Amino acid sequence: MIPKDAGDTELIEELRARDADALAIVYDRYGHLAYSVFVRVTRDQSIAEDLVQELFIRVWNRAKDFDPHKGKLSVWILSIARNIAIDHVRSAQARFQSNLRPLEQTDQLLFSYKPQEPESIIDNAKAVSRALSELNTNQRKVLEMAYFEGFSQSEIATRLQEPLGTVKSWMRAALARMRAAVKLGVTG
Amino acid sequence: MTHAEMNELYELYVLGSLEPAEAAEIDEHVRTGCDYCLQRLQDALAVTSAMCGLAEPQTPPRRLRGRILAAVKPQKRSQAWIFALAGLSAACAALIVFSVWSATNMDRYRAHAAELEAQRNQLRSAVEILSRSETRTVQFGHANNQPRGRVFVNPQQGLVFVGSQLPQLASDQTFQLWLIPASGAPESAGLFRPNAAGNFVDVRTTPVDTTRIQAVAVSVEPPGGSPAPTTKPILVVPLG
Repeated sequence: MIPKDAGDTELIEELRARDADALAIVYDRYGHLAYSVFVRVTRDQSIAEDLVQELFIRVWNRAKDFDPHKGKLSVWILSIARNIAIDHVRSAQARFQSNLRPLEQTDQLLFSYKPQEPESIIDNAKAVSRALSELNTNQRKVLEMAYFEGFSQSEIATRLQEPLGTVKSWMRAALARMRAAVKLGVTG
Repeated sequence: MTHAEMNELYELYVLGSLEPAEAAEIDEHVRTGCDYCLQRLQDALAVTSAMCGLAEPQTPPRRLRGRILAAVKPQKRSQAWIFALAGLSAACAALIVFSVWSATNMDRYRAHAAELEAQRNQLRSAVEILSRSETRTVQFGHANNQPRGRVFVNPQQGLVFVGSQLPQLASDQTFQLWLIPASGAPESAGLFRPNAAGNFVDVRTTPVDTTRIQAVAVSVEPPGGSPAPTTKPILVVPLG
């Protein structure tokens, strides 16, 4: 029996071995986060449930392709969740141009992902939560429009009826807080 | 675009929120195999993943967990499998019934074929006996409602016993034909049953010593016949 506090490597190994208990642990860790994102994006709990199932079936079927030594399971799962959500909105409303990076490209990035620090966004949930709570209304708004709705900065500016430069400024400040929260830092 | 300029854009690139021209420029740069950009993009994925915290926390229904696990757990025996097994069992049972039925019918057909073969051989023998010049014919029964017919006797080929108006038999009875010698016990010449109309044909295919046999007789006997007549003969036809 796999322990509930198993690490990414052990979970992935068990998922590759088709151990449903491992998927149960993964679901317990990330299922509520994914569900929250799907409800926020779709505004429909029933659709959100379907999308959560789609997410974890995809994790189950693609675990063999994921190398835990190169990436974090949490980043991989939540990135897939966000792509599923946006793809659903786009397919349902067909109102966006395809600026979102295709899921396959995101996966390639994740499969070669080498975190500089061991902490994950989940491990550092308090810092992330604090960073989000410290965003002002405008910063939070532009971040939400980009994350949940896939809008470009110019589209956000149009919808908010604000100058593009202002929107970029809000966005820049919001992202800086987020970067700091996940302790990745940008040194370029 | 320099790396310093791109540092502000990697998250937006991952989110798909860059303007097409900016995204194309980063695309082109990443395709050159720039390790720095690749690392920054990987970091950007972690940052954008953390944005899931922007969503108001929701608790998924408890049934969802079970639904997902049920979807991935191998079913020991699914409903479809049970139905398939039941169908297969039914098919096997039907096959067995059909096989038994076929075997039964085959046996019946074989028995019927054997019976037809025996009748054909009997008919051939009868024709052989009737066509021979040395065959002698004896007619019997002239009264109404009494058995009547002919006996065709050939010393080398046997005899043909043809008649009608024999009485109906009970289900546990049969007619037995006897050859009655001048002296000694009657000799059995076979069993027969008339058809529903009382008509019958019996053929004996072994030689008949007409110098010794003086008459043929018919008695009612139990199924399988008797070594000697157990009832008074209903018919006696002298051959002389």
